[in-house]
Amino acid sequence: MVRPYAIKGKKRKNRGEKYDKEEQEHEEQVEEEEEEEKEPAKRAAIEKTTEEVEGKEEEEGGEAGTDELVGIPIAPPDKKNNKNGVIFVLEKASLEVAKVGKSFQLLNSDDHANFLRKNNKNPADYRPDITHQALLSILDSPVNKAGRLQAVYVRTEKGVLFEVKPHVRIPRTYKRFSGIMLQLLQKLNITAVGKREKLLRVIKNPVTNYFPVNSRKIGFSYSSDKLVKMRKYVDTVGDDVNLVFVVGAMAHGKIEVDYIDDFIAISGYPLSAAMCIARITEALADKWSIL
Amino acid sequence: MAKQSNDGAKTKKKSNKKHHKKSDPDAISMKLKSQKPNPFETIWSRRKFDVLGKKRKGEERRIGRARSLAIQKRKKTLLKEYEQSTKSSVFVDKRIGEQNDDLGEFEKGILRSQRERQLKLGKKSKFNLSDGEEDEFDAPDFGSLPERDDFEDEMLSDDDNYADESKIKLLLFIMMMLYNLFIDNPNFLVTFFFISPVYGKNFVFVFIYINGRDDMFSFSERSTVLKHLNSHSAKDPLEGDLIEGEENKHKSKKEIMEEVILKSKFFKAQKARDKEENEQLMDELDKSFSSLVQSQALLSLTEPGKMNALKALVNKSIPDEHVKKEELAVMQKAETNNQEQPDSYDKLVHEMVLDMRARPSDRTKTPEEIAQEERERLERLEEERQKRMLAMDYSSDEDGENAEKDYAQRPRAISGDDLGDSFALDDEPGNKKGWVDEILERKDANDSEDEDEDDSEDLGSPEDTDEDEESEEEEEDDENESEKTLSFKDWEQSDDDNVGTDLEEDEETDEHDEAIGDEDVDKKSRNKTNKTELKKCVESVDAKKPKASGKHTSTKSDIPFIIEAPKNLDELSSLLENRSNDDVIVIINRIRASNAIKLAAENRKKMQVFYGVLLQYFAVLANKKPLNFELSNLLVKPIMEMSTEIPFFSAICARERILRSRVQFCEALKNHENGCWPTLKTLFLLRLWSMIFPCSDYRHVVTTPALLLMCEYLMRCPIMSGRDVAIGSFLCSMILMFTKQSRKFCPEAIMFLRTLLMAATEHKLASEQDSQFYHFMELKALRPLLCIHDGVDEINPLNFLMVMEMSDDSSFFRSDNFRASALLTVIETLQGFIEIYDGLNSFPEIFLPIATLLVEVSEQKHMPKALKDKFNNVSQLIKKKADKTHTLRRPLQLRKQKPAPIKLLNPKFEENFIKGRDYDPDRERAERRKLQKLIKREAKGAARELRKDNYFLYEAKQRDRELVEKERAANYGRAIAFLQEQEHAFKSGQLGKGSKKRRR
Repeated sequence: MVRPYAIKGKKRKNRGEKYDKEEQEHEEQVEEEEEEEKEPAKRAAIEKTTEEVEGKEEEEGGEAGTDELVGIPIAPPDKKNNKNGVIFVLEKASLEVAKVGKSFQLLNSDDHANFLRKNNKNPADYRPDITHQALLSILDSPVNKAGRLQAVYVRTEKGVLFEVKPHVRIPRTYKRFSGIMLQLLQKLNITAVGKREKLLRVIKNPVTNYFPVNSRKIGFSYSSDKLVKMRKYVDTVGDDVNLVFVVGAMAHGKIEVDYIDDFIAISGYPLSAAMCIARITEALADKWSIL
Repeated sequence: MAKQSNDGAKTKKKSNKKHHKKSDPDAISMKLKSQKPNPFETIWSRRKFDVLGKKRKGEERRIGRARSLAIQKRKKTLLKEYEQSTKSSVFVDKRIGEQNDDLGEFEKGILRSQRERQLKLGKKSKFNLSDGEEDEFDAPDFGSLPERDDFEDEMLSDDDNYADESKIKLLLFIMMMLYNLFIDNPNFLVTFFFISPVYGKNFVFVFIYINGRDDMFSFSERSTVLKHLNSHSAKDPLEGDLIEGEENKHKSKKEIMEEVILKSKFFKAQKARDKEENEQLMDELDKSFSSLVQSQALLSLTEPGKMNALKALVNKSIPDEHVKKEELAVMQKAETNNQEQPDSYDKLVHEMVLDMRARPSDRTKTPEEIAQEERERLERLEEERQKRMLAMDYSSDEDGENAEKDYAQRPRAISGDDLGDSFALDDEPGNKKGWVDEILERKDANDSEDEDEDDSEDLGSPEDTDEDEESEEEEEDDENESEKTLSFKDWEQSDDDNVGTDLEEDEETDEHDEAIGDEDVDKKSRNKTNKTELKKCVESVDAKKPKASGKHTSTKSDIPFIIEAPKNLDELSSLLENRSNDDVIVIINRIRASNAIKLAAENRKKMQVFYGVLLQYFAVLANKKPLNFELSNLLVKPIMEMSTEIPFFSAICARERILRSRVQFCEALKNHENGCWPTLKTLFLLRLWSMIFPCSDYRHVVTTPALLLMCEYLMRCPIMSGRDVAIGSFLCSMILMFTKQSRKFCPEAIMFLRTLLMAATEHKLASEQDSQFYHFMELKALRPLLCIHDGVDEINPLNFLMVMEMSDDSSFFRSDNFRASALLTVIETLQGFIEIYDGLNSFPEIFLPIATLLVEVSEQKHMPKALKDKFNNVSQLIKKKADKTHTLRRPLQLRKQKPAPIKLLNPKFEENFIKGRDYDPDRERAERRKLQKLIKREAKGAARELRKDNYFLYEAKQRDRELVEKERAANYGRAIAFLQEQEHAFKSGQLGKGSKKRRR
């Protein structure tokens, strides 16, 4: 195959997307180190300029806008940058493609109720909107914006596992989301606009292959006896542990996977997936003091 | 003969093969059925994911079976080739249909015979002399193939007779051909006789035949002959029939062709006949019609004009017909001549065609709609004004556009709920305003300014609260009303003129153009109507005014109605000398009416001159010692109207005057003796401009320099006397009016007010805290000018005009009454400034010192009660507002860097994704890629096939090699065995005694 679009830069062959976790981590570390190296220099430069400007401003004695005061030095950013991130796994997501009429469509309970009944399926089980909401609440969280989310894995009811990169902008409307899922499940990957980078891609089971070594897998279930307050629970986990949260994205039932270390309930009420994730991310943001 | 035998052999083989083959497919199929199914073939491919609703298609692909089939095929082809690769010669079966497995035995036979016939019917073989009867008889009847076989067998046992007869037939045929060729040849008979004795037996028939011939040798005759022959021989009736049939067919073809030709000819003839008949009928009709026309009956029925036309028509259609009646023809000719000239009706019709169609006009708007539109317009204008007030608009229009563009391009912070892609449609409403709009707007601003002024009056700006002033304001209100309507009308009519004269430089040419353009229209009449209209307007205005002002009208009999515009001040002053105020206004209005710009292009020039003169008059009026304030007030209205008519010129005038007064001011500053405070004239003019031009613009050609000038006055003029105080406070109130809407900060005014307040304190110089303040005030000789020494009974608002008329050293300025009223003015103005500037961030810094000063002043012992209250109130107000600003202030803190969120990427996906479709927008590239994909697939397939071929061949070779190996091993074993046996025999001594003996 030829490269479809003329993209400047290194050849794909040279770059080689490394899906090996360890290597990736190594790379990330290197990058972060580089960034840290760059940052002080940048800051120094900024400070220098600000000093100059200050001098000028004093001469002029004019009033500057309150919101962009150049003279006021910038507060140093929070230094301690612990690297461990967080991984979310959405289990039993009901994303299923079917041929309805002449075209393939993502099955949902609203549009395909008759079709599903005809095929002896329960329309109430086909709820891709849960996955959509859950994904949105994960990717919209400040935890993600701060770059602490490592990855999101979604495993469908049928057992298809795909990875969602943290920097995807998932379509906010359901229609577009269904379009993207449809394409993902047929084409097996989705690239970025104008780039070759794969933002979503179907990967091999089992999902445990992709977890970092020192990871703690926490499952959520209303049926669990261990009812905890999320904030406290998160605090108990050490800083060196990578957190993996496994949340069910289905309408009914319980996640049934064997890799989970701890099954907890975070509310006395059955929560929606999005709400559950919101609580988790809130607690994490609180812990990491991400505002 | 050799060929025949070959054929025979072939057929024999065929029959053999037929038997063989018939058994073959069945046998194979039986074998296949009976075969045990290969377990690998039974395993089918299975789908990984069950997609709901997808048809199970293509699942029947059985890979194992396909593989075994491929091997079978290779065995048939590749293996054969391989086997023959070592052979030097190949047996190729080239029989027709032998390669094709689909054909049965019978079909093969058909094919072969077809080929044979084709060969024979070819052009080449047409004139070939046949060397045997097989040519003639074998060919047509493939159906009787077995019979032929029989015949072949019979050939051996056949008698001479048969052979003879066939030979005779042949000969006959030859003879026919010969006859055909040599029909005119005299040698023919000789030839015939030469031949005939050879075939003695059939001689008679042939002879008869020849005699019976007339001239042509036709096929039918030949057939009869052949029949004869056949009946004689009575051997092969079938052949004869066949030939006959063939000939019949031929004949019919010919006939069909003839028939077709005949038919077409017949139809053609019929058509021609019909046409002729039609023509005949038409002729008859024409004849009868012409006769009818000439008769009187039709004449009586139709009107003469049409009759003429009819006759002309008849004339034209049958030109040859009117030979009989020459007289009538002549008449008709004359009539046709008449007819050619168009009559009135035709003319009318033509005109109507050319007429314009009536267009639907807009319906008359209801008052509500008009009001709504007006409201919208005003709103829009206000919007524009606001925009101009802000800093954005002070640059030129292009910059404004740029700014807009910038705004559109400026990256917005993306909210969390942003859709992130092409959903958002940004339509920034463009603000395009025409020149006319701008002018209108400016006028509007004037109006609003006036209203503001009124407001300020209501608030009680003390300078203007004279009784006279009030009446003036009332008057002005009314005037404004009338002015508005008038000026709108004017605008509507003089739009074009104004648009044409964007710049002063262009004026001349434009006027010229317009004049030229106007010449086309009936100029005079228009002028007249305009004039009358205008007069009416003026009269109406005149009529209205007396009512409004409530003043008695003077006799206007001595004022001429049309007055030429005065060129200079002398003319004007001579014109206006000894007139009453109302008369002056009437005169001015008449001058304006008779020289209105829209009446004539050159009037613009006149009006501009007149405007200058009028302005001068206004200024002079202000300087006159007994001040005619009423007249000045009345003059304001026409001046304002005129400046809306010639905005550019008025702006230029104003600028010039401002410049001049600035120069004068600078001069005055140099020699300190006489006060450099502005005269009443300057003040009046400043006031006038503040009414004419919009004060709220961020930057304006007139108001900005005017404001600056005022500030300069306040800043640089020393306060020497009470009069200076009065003028200064008047300027302050004017500045307040200027900046009221735009809320521009004017530190000079505040500073001046503060100075005055300080002048009201008892102890000479204030505390040290204000030391920096005095730095600015070095020019000002601060004396306790306003310090009230005795109690004041009542505080009257200051009469500014009266104050101005007084001399510097009048005792009034030293009276406490004056001081109290001056303080009142100061405090009122200060309050106004406080109201304006309460939005400033630095409000506390500006006003808090004043507040303390106010408290200080109010605590003086002789301060009247009312003033004290006022002072305290204002200081309270200042404190309250300062506190509010203080609470809004936030402590200085380090600038926080906004945490940068990770960069999000939009996924690329299609609306309706269809698997396998290429979504490349470049169709050509997609196509190319598709082809390349195809090529690659094919190449891969070919490589795979080749690989499999190789494996297959390798296996075959291996098998051969194994076979050879085995054979060799067997041979070797056999040899070894023989040798061993020999050895054994030798050792056991069974190979003869002699050797044993010998050994022994």
